[in-house]
Amino acid sequence: RAMELPPGHFPAARAAAAALGYLRYLRGGPGRGLHLRELRRARRQDIDDVGHKYYLELELEDVLDKDSTVSCTAEVLYHLGSKSSAPDVQVTVQGELRSTEQADKEFYNRIRSLEKELVAENIPDSHGNVPPELEPIHLLAWVASGYVIWQNSTENTKLHLAQVKHVKQVKRSDEDLQFDFVVLLHEMVSQEVLPWQVTLLWHPQHGARVSQSRAAGAGS
Amino acid sequence: AANMKLILIFSALIGASLCLETFVGHQVLRIRTKNEEEVKQLQLLESLEHLELDFWINPSAPALPVDVRIPAVSVQSVKAFLESQGIEYSILIEDLQDVLDKEKQDMAESAQRQRSSSSFDFGAYHTLDDINAELDQLASEYSFVEKIQIGESYEKRPLYVLKFSTGGSNRPAIWLDAGIHSREWVTQASALWIANKIASDYGTDESITSLLDKMDLFLLPVANPDGFVYTHTSNRMWRKTRSKIPGSICVGVDPNRNWDAGFGGPGASNNPCSESYHGPSANSEVEVKSVADFIKNHGNFKAFLTLHSYSQLLMYPYGYKCTRPDDYAELESLGRAAASSIRSLYGTTFQVGTICNTIYQASGGSIDWSYDNGIKYSFAFELRDTGRYGFLLPASQIIPAAKETWLGLKRIMEHVRDKSS
Repeated sequence: RAMELPPGHFPAARAAAAALGYLRYLRGGPGRGLHLRELRRARRQDIDDVGHKYYLELELEDVLDKDSTVSCTAEVLYHLGSKSSAPDVQVTVQGELRSTEQADKEFYNRIRSLEKELVAENIPDSHGNVPPELEPIHLLAWVASGYVIWQNSTENTKLHLAQVKHVKQVKRSDEDLQFDFVVLLHEMVSQEVLPWQVTLLWHPQHGARVSQSRAAGAGS
Repeated sequence: AANMKLILIFSALIGASLCLETFVGHQVLRIRTKNEEEVKQLQLLESLEHLELDFWINPSAPALPVDVRIPAVSVQSVKAFLESQGIEYSILIEDLQDVLDKEKQDMAESAQRQRSSSSFDFGAYHTLDDINAELDQLASEYSFVEKIQIGESYEKRPLYVLKFSTGGSNRPAIWLDAGIHSREWVTQASALWIANKIASDYGTDESITSLLDKMDLFLLPVANPDGFVYTHTSNRMWRKTRSKIPGSICVGVDPNRNWDAGFGGPGASNNPCSESYHGPSANSEVEVKSVADFIKNHGNFKAFLTLHSYSQLLMYPYGYKCTRPDDYAELESLGRAAASSIRSLYGTTFQVGTICNTIYQASGGSIDWSYDNGIKYSFAFELRDTGRYGFLLPASQIIPAAKETWLGLKRIMEHVRDKSS
């Protein structure tokens, strides 16, 4: 009952983008950025009174470890009629992702020991440059925007992180790191570039959590 | 007591202060304060305006260095003062004018080098002015390359096309444009590289030589110059033209929804504030009308190729409707062959298909117009990447992107050449 879809056609690609957003939120961090290398297979099932469910086979790469690839399967369920609820996503990663424990610890200690709270803008810059010391922040922006992308994806959207417009660290009394991001999301179907404010909390052991997110004011 | 000393030493210099046009003998010192008292001394120094000390880093806290430019006439006195107070300093610049003279010379030499196209950095992003200068350079270097103007943008910038022609009279021609959506920077940059590649390889590369011996090539590297300048000066993410829309505060029309092909249909917006606004009418944008008129008046175009980014797609008509074009089989086959050529270089994969199947339904697009106007070989490329950097593709990827794209274009052009003879 599940229909095979050409992986090169847009319905499959859109579901893959939603799955990737979810995966980045779940498994991404300052030392790990997962990107889609190839969508190997896609099927779609129309479930009466429920919605459309996509079954995907993805090949991912860790941008910090480009020679290795990781396979995963994903299920993306877009709920019928509801434009305002996030798709249900389940992802299974085959095998182990490279451990980032050391890099996470170093990053955590580095940020905690900063006298002045970190502030940065335009990552990457107009020419695509990311200063090496900001790459972990860039990858945390992928985590934060991954959440927003997952939460706001529909069968008629394909969202990507276009740029980190602004990031500000906020010191906290507890052990989490907090970053307030303004990210620009590019929506492929409408071609709009949408600014979003996202607050991300992160801890090496606890992982990442978006504490709040909202579409920012009138776009650029 | 120290303050008195300060005032005595420097008040003597009041009369001697001169207002100099040059920086001959000016020194820049870096002063390292050890405590608050020393910082206060420097702040007092700073307040003596007649000394015309120019603090590049102002005294604020003991831990931070203080950099100050001192006019020649005051150099010895300032140093004497610092030494008498035990304040440590070092000389950053011995003579500022020397540094400025050298810098001026370096810039002149660099500008000199830039004028030769063999040193134009194709692996970097450039401004519109630099791109136009390079077009002039190519036209002057190669006898078969000519820069022509086919119209003007909304803000009156010239629309420059490079015409590659080795002879004949109105030979069958190939059209190639880039940058119709201004934020897609890898496309304008790739077009420059491709222009240089074709020009420099004519006569040595068999394929390019046989192509240009039979056909003409017209290349528009910056199809939307107003938008392009805006991405440099104001908003890197600008896509549309910069035309004022009557009755709206929003600016600009999506030039790839403005062509007369299913105009106003699905996949384009009638909201002026939208990124895919189709405009008040087909060809309302002068950037679009200029190209359409040029191609119609020429009358002998066989291929229409356009570069976009990002997504790594190689598409043929239609976008405005989801039915297959009459030449589906040939275009699909040629598209696959071109994608295969692209992949052969670095393994970069491009998906092939109609616009409607591959990316979305979109009306008013350029290759739909060209196809419906008899130009069979109409293809739209979406270059690197697939979203990791998106529009902000690192400059280090320009030349790889241009090289692989060129292989795909060449494959198509060879087919067109063979079918047109």
